[in-house]
Amino acid sequence: MKRDFFRKVGFGLGLDEAVPDDPLAWAQAQMDVVPPLSWKGDIPSGDSLMDHYAHWVYTDRKVLRERHKTDRKAYKEAKEELRYETGERFFENLELCIRHDAALNSGAPVFERLWFFWGNHFAITDKDFMPEFATGAYHREVLRPHMTGSFTDLVKAATTSWAMIRNLDNSESIGPNSENGRRRRERGKPATVNENHARELMELHTISPAGGYTQEDVIALSYVMAGWETRHTKKRQECNPVRFDQRNHQPGTHTVLGKAYKQRGLNSSNKLMDAIEDLCAHPQCRQFIAIKLCRHFICDEPTEAMTAPIVAAWEQTDGHLPAVHKALLQVAWDHTGIEKKFHNPEVWLLQMVKMGGVAWPPSPKSMTYSFKNKPRHNQTLPEKTMREIGLSPYRPQQPNGYSDMSSDWLSPELLIRRLAFASESGGRLPKDIDFDALIDRNFDNADEVKAYLAPYPTRFGKGEALFPSYWMLMA
Amino acid sequence: MTITRREFIAGVGSITLLASPVFNARAAALNKRNLVIIMLRGGMDGLTAVPPRDRILSNARPDILVKETLKLTSDFDLHPRLETFHELWTAGHAGIVHATNIPYRNRSHFEGQNLMESGGHVPYKDNTGWLGRGLESAELGGLAISLPMPLLLRGEVVQDNFYPTRMSMPHRPELMAIADTYPEGTELRKAMDKVIGRPSSMMNHYGGRDATELANTAARELSREDGPRVAVFDLNGFDTHAAQGGDDGEHGEKLHDYDRILNRLRSGLGDAFDNTLILTVTEFGRKLDQNGGYGTEHGYGTAILMAGGLVKNVLHADWPGLKSKDLFEGQDLNATIDARAVYCAAMSACFDVDFNYMRKRAFWDEPLPDLTDTLFNV
Repeated sequence: MKRDFFRKVGFGLGLDEAVPDDPLAWAQAQMDVVPPLSWKGDIPSGDSLMDHYAHWVYTDRKVLRERHKTDRKAYKEAKEELRYETGERFFENLELCIRHDAALNSGAPVFERLWFFWGNHFAITDKDFMPEFATGAYHREVLRPHMTGSFTDLVKAATTSWAMIRNLDNSESIGPNSENGRRRRERGKPATVNENHARELMELHTISPAGGYTQEDVIALSYVMAGWETRHTKKRQECNPVRFDQRNHQPGTHTVLGKAYKQRGLNSSNKLMDAIEDLCAHPQCRQFIAIKLCRHFICDEPTEAMTAPIVAAWEQTDGHLPAVHKALLQVAWDHTGIEKKFHNPEVWLLQMVKMGGVAWPPSPKSMTYSFKNKPRHNQTLPEKTMREIGLSPYRPQQPNGYSDMSSDWLSPELLIRRLAFASESGGRLPKDIDFDALIDRNFDNADEVKAYLAPYPTRFGKGEALFPSYWMLMA
Repeated sequence: MTITRREFIAGVGSITLLASPVFNARAAALNKRNLVIIMLRGGMDGLTAVPPRDRILSNARPDILVKETLKLTSDFDLHPRLETFHELWTAGHAGIVHATNIPYRNRSHFEGQNLMESGGHVPYKDNTGWLGRGLESAELGGLAISLPMPLLLRGEVVQDNFYPTRMSMPHRPELMAIADTYPEGTELRKAMDKVIGRPSSMMNHYGGRDATELANTAARELSREDGPRVAVFDLNGFDTHAAQGGDDGEHGEKLHDYDRILNRLRSGLGDAFDNTLILTVTEFGRKLDQNGGYGTEHGYGTAILMAGGLVKNVLHADWPGLKSKDLFEGQDLNATIDARAVYCAAMSACFDVDFNYMRKRAFWDEPLPDLTDTLFNV
């Protein structure tokens, strides 16, 4: 019955869960609605987190640095206090709890795997205190609600989000002939576009280099995007909602990949929306996304036969994500037992937790923070755990996110982390854990796995042997 | 040619060598030369690290000019945060190649970083790195100081990496049983064989993870007679689109991170520093003009910083100039030297392998000029 499928597209089945009769239907049914987050503790809004962020950057830049100009030690101490006061050491941990609780308990684990996927596709890199204050909320509030709509709407939401505009420096972009650009140049100041966001919008988010754009296209799209910015104010610094400021926008018609974008209506904000629609409708966009989806779930080098049904579903529905996701799941189902994918460390860790019934993440009660002192051990454990295992989901180092290629997760040290986490898992497994039942519901080669575990009498030995085994690492 | 314990575990070719009657670990150690690669990710700006004395530069960068520079030559200065590098330069143990880059001109970090590591021309085409291939041609072992394995060090043979942890590991019999579930010949199995074959110094040691402490670890492993011959560091953050700054800006901070690693390697390696070559790589330089955010955009030509006893005290460049007509696409410092010629010469010098043989094995026999004698003491 393809039990491996539960691990290929989900986090495996827990011992307390019913085994679905029709696994493919079970998985596909999760694609139509956004499941509520299951975390029972505090789920702070993105706006409230931005208030904390604003307090952090304003106080640090404008108050503490000024006040302690000559005393580095006093400055360091004051900054440490500010960390507690703003939750700078805490919120990433809370976000990880919300994320992992959803994976384990939302009732729609396959949807959650795809949520992880899109969070990594529209990656926010590890800089400017984004992981501490913003990236988790961006995943929850910007990406997640758009996973049951069209890809185009998801791209529009991600592209104009505060996190992405900030992360890819679009606020630094000034059209040379814009009102502000001309004024700056008259005063001898530089006024140029920042190409970063425009390039990544094409290269990473939509059509990929296979789309064949040139440097001229990148500059033209930068002109289209100039003016989309995070407004800077004294009291809140850059922590203000995204707006479109015509005064920084490069006037005129800009041609990207042969299509001209011009103003319709009172300002030029439509140009970016028009360009996104064309990028998302580009044949290379659906190719690129289909390959990425297959690479994440099925195998390192997806074939045309794997991507074709996904591209077809995209074409029939104009990139309606539930249809695209369902097509992917059908392909994954067809290839279960034929193609195996090496799980990244986070998926693997959560599978160990789900299948073994490990107590994770820390409880909502233990995640109640005082904002007065250093966060307690439990309150920093999620971030430390993910750093140790080598995948901090809110801290990709580059805007292309974490790799889906097995070879990127196969260093001796990364393997040592899997071995060590498995070795230390025994004490966290329930005392009465039924390994035979765990194996029966999650492995197609159950007899082989049971025979392999037979020499180990205790849950400590069995956990240490099972979790880093080949069958657990791959599905 | 030398051999180490780790190659014996990893390499098929090295077993042949081990059987050779001339093998002698101590004699081998006398000739042991180390190559350290420091990857500067994000686009290191050669015009900030090693600014030419040129009015065009000061006019193009009024707000981010490096002012309190250290003196290098009559034509070039050094960024003030590169103090260790400057000491080494003065002592004759540092060199620079300027106006150089890999043959990549499309300004994407990801493509550029992929190519700076693979050494090829087409992004994402090659799944091995030039250093991995070079090590294989010399039948040597390398060590990455990072949790993942960089493409740079990948080859047919799985190389080693090191990153300290406090967690406990399964005991040896359990490790062997787990390894038995991994099919023979898979990458997973090769990585596991590396883990099982580790020297105890890498299994029981907990060192810190600050870049300088990792540099201490690297220095310790490199100075062991039977330790690895190559170490690779990864430094992020050179992509300074905003607030790049001059003397004390963000780019200077990042250069200082590099300088601190250099400092620790120098002290940690001791005498072995004389037989070491420390080389920077990056994906591209940055545009000549500053942008509106007091930063710079992705560019082309940049500089390579080299340090260690094996380096000649030269600033090697075929300087293209900064006038508009001399710039790449009218915007960037041009690259007149293929950076891969420097990489190839460095491997040839450190691994004691003929330049042309190295060129063939690591760079597909591409026509790279032999810079070994120009840049290195061998």
